[in-house]
Amino acid sequence: MLIIAGIIPLPNFSLLDGQVQREGTELKLNEHQIPSTQGTAAMISAALAVSDHFRMVAPRAVIAGDIGRGDGSRLIYQYLIDHLPRLKPKVLALHYWMPDLELMHQLCEQVKALETRPVLIADAASMYAAKAVGLASEFDVFTPDLSEIAFLADAEAIHPAYIDKHLFETCDVRSIPELIAEAYKNQGAARYMLVKGESDFVANEEGILASIAGPDVPALECIGGTGDTITGMCAALIYKGLDISSALEISARANRLAGARGKTTPATRISEIIARLPEVFRREINLE
Amino acid sequence: MLWSKKKARTEPDNKALQDKRNKGLVLFDTVEEAIRSEKLVKRSGYACALVAPPPQLRKGCDIALEINLIEQPAIERTLQAVPYKEVVCLEGSTQLLDIVQVFEYPEHTMVKAGNMKLTYETGSGLIVNTSGGGCPDIPYLHIAMLGKRLDEIPRPRDVGHTLCALMLDRAVEGALEIWKKGDGI
Repeated sequence: MLIIAGIIPLPNFSLLDGQVQREGTELKLNEHQIPSTQGTAAMISAALAVSDHFRMVAPRAVIAGDIGRGDGSRLIYQYLIDHLPRLKPKVLALHYWMPDLELMHQLCEQVKALETRPVLIADAASMYAAKAVGLASEFDVFTPDLSEIAFLADAEAIHPAYIDKHLFETCDVRSIPELIAEAYKNQGAARYMLVKGESDFVANEEGILASIAGPDVPALECIGGTGDTITGMCAALIYKGLDISSALEISARANRLAGARGKTTPATRISEIIARLPEVFRREINLE
Repeated sequence: MLWSKKKARTEPDNKALQDKRNKGLVLFDTVEEAIRSEKLVKRSGYACALVAPPPQLRKGCDIALEINLIEQPAIERTLQAVPYKEVVCLEGSTQLLDIVQVFEYPEHTMVKAGNMKLTYETGSGLIVNTSGGGCPDIPYLHIAMLGKRLDEIPRPRDVGHTLCALMLDRAVEGALEIWKKGDGI
C-alpha cells in the first residue's frame, strides 16, 4: 500500500482515510470531492496519474482540513501513529502539515517499530520537521528545492525562514553539490534526495547520482504544486518497485516533459500540468 | 568560504536541544505585559509558557514568553495590543531572512523570499501563482491570493499562522514595492 498523508486547505474538514479516485479535474475520497490544487492534493493527483498508467492499486490518502492552526495536522500525525501497524504501508509519503516535533518524533518511533519498515518520503513541512527534530537520516527520500537544500545544509536552522543569510544569498545551482555534502555531514539529509531547480539533482551520501536539465521550462518554478507532483510521482514509482534513484530521475523528467507538452507560462495552474501527465507517461516514459 | 559563520555541529540525537531550537521567546519591558500576553496567547489556543530568558537574550524584564517559533506570525498578531520588544530564537540561528530576490519573465515577475515565491503579472499586479513552502496555511493562502491584485489581498501576515506565511508576506511586500515603482497603479 502507498499512503500519502497531508493536510488540505479546507477549514473544519475532518480526517479521511481511503483510496483516492479521480473525478474530472478533482479527486474523490470517500464521497468527498477534493480540489486538485497546490499541496497534498497535487501530490496525490500525480501519484494517481502514475498508478492509473501502470494499472496499479490507487494510492491511499490520509488527509484532514487545516488552514494553519495545526488542528488537522495533529489529527493526521495521531492517526498514523495509532494505525500504521494495521495499515502496513509499503511506501509512506508525508507532505504539508504543521511541523510538530514531538509528534514527528513519535511517528518516526512508530515507523521504526513496524514489522516491515516502509519506504519513508517527506516533502514540504514534513521534511522541515524531520530535519528539525534530528531524524532526517531515518527517511529514504527528501525532495527539497534550492532554498530548502540550504535549510537542510544549515545545521542550526529550524525552518527555511531562519537559514543563514549568507547561505541563502550564495545558494545557486553551482553551490548545490556543496550544499548536498553539507546536508549529509550535518545529518540534515535523507538517504536519497532530489534537489529541484533550474537543473534537478538526484543525490545520496556518495554525491550526485544524476542530473536532469531538460526540457528546460523556466516557468515551472513559478507554478505552485510542481514540486508536489514530482514527489507524488516518485512515491508511486517506488511503490511500483523502481529503485529510489531511478524513481526520482523519472519523476523529475516527467514533470519537465509535462511542462513542455503544452503552453506553460508563470500563470499556468498545476491542474493543467497534472492533466498532461497521462500523455507524458503514455508517449515519453519507457520503463523497459 | 560558504560555511565560515557556522558553529560546530551538534549531535542529532540531542532531543532536548532540538526541541529548544524550535522555541522562540517574546521579550517584554515589564512583567505585567508578559503575564497579560501569556493569557492572550493561551486564550487564542497556542501553547506558551512564562520563562526566565537566558542572560544573553535578556532585554527588558526578567520574564519572557516561550512560544513555538513556527507559530510566530499568529502569536505576534495575538499580541498586537501588547508592547512587546521582539521575538528571538531561544537557541541556534538568529534572524528571520529578510532578503528578497526578483526574477523577470516576459510578462510576469517572480519575487522570492526564503522558501516562498510569488508571481504576478508585471503590468496589472495580478497574482498568478504562489509556490514553495510547506506549512499548513500555504495551500490555503495560495487559493486565497490567486487572481487578485497585489494591493487587494489580505496580507499573509494578517491571516496566516506560520513562518512560511511570514516569508510569503515578505514576498508580497517586495512585490508591492517593485510594482508600485513600475507605475503598476
